[in-house]
Amino acid sequence: MVGEPDPNLSDDALLVLYANGDGRAVQELTMRLSPRCFGVAMRVLGNRAEAEDITQEAMMRLWRMAPNWQPGQAQVSTWLYRVAMNLCIDLKRRQRGGYVDLDAVPEPADTSRSASEQMQEGARHDALQVALMQLPERQRQAVVLRHIEELPNPEIAGIMDISVEAVESLTARGKRALAAILAGRREELGYSDG
Amino acid sequence: MMADTDKAMQELDDLFASARQNPVPLPDHLATAIMNDALVARSEERVPQQEPENRRQVHFGIWRQLMVAIGGLPALGGMAAACVVGVWVGLAPPSFLPDPAQLVGYSDSTSVPYDSYDLASVLGEEVQ
Repeated sequence: MVGEPDPNLSDDALLVLYANGDGRAVQELTMRLSPRCFGVAMRVLGNRAEAEDITQEAMMRLWRMAPNWQPGQAQVSTWLYRVAMNLCIDLKRRQRGGYVDLDAVPEPADTSRSASEQMQEGARHDALQVALMQLPERQRQAVVLRHIEELPNPEIAGIMDISVEAVESLTARGKRALAAILAGRREELGYSDG
Repeated sequence: MMADTDKAMQELDDLFASARQNPVPLPDHLATAIMNDALVARSEERVPQQEPENRRQVHFGIWRQLMVAIGGLPALGGMAAACVVGVWVGLAPPSFLPDPAQLVGYSDSTSVPYDSYDLASVLGEEVQ
């Protein structure tokens, strides 16, 4: 590698560079897009190994699609999220009754907090993941994309191939369901009344 | 009741915020595998572009091998000349050969008893 590409380049531009044989774009695209794809897959699947497989496959499809990419027509990240979500659905369809891998839930990285605070933070992450896994597949996807990835509803609609109204409905119902699931664990998670 | 719902939603928003602040780190081995895949995909992309050229080379290779097997251009010239002479002899035969145009519709089955029945009769007569 001769040098790093301009970090200000858009995903579009980097993908075109990659398609034209510029190997320097590979690392930048990988570091920009893979963590987001992996994070969403982790939250949707609740399993690290599966999330890794989905991320690798989605990125492979991105590399293969690169020569045919038409810049300006869509966001690369939207395309990638869409592929990842569809791969997740396909995987779950094949499995029919996936499980929640609690070991896969990430530990908090901040070491400046006390051990008890970190444990409570970890418990909250676990609780959120367990609650997410109890939602129907599409609700879970919509909630993760909206409330963890903070994507706008129109983009989520594009990723999930549904209307914006359907996204709003899914996220609202999903959020209500999550609140109900977590209501019984308030004290355990350190939320006191009052 | 409304206050409880608001509180539950606020706590849920806190959980989401916490999840956002602690994203799942991408494993190093996965990043490495993804970058390797990028190189593989790029090399795969180049293979189909070379394929027609390779096919053309195979195509030319077969003709070249055939030419060598025949004996090269001089042998091919000889074969062409033989073909022309053959066609010429067929159309305008020398005087000592029958004219093929006159042989059209000619049958010699009556003069030569080659059919099995006639041949058996002739042989039978000779024996007698």
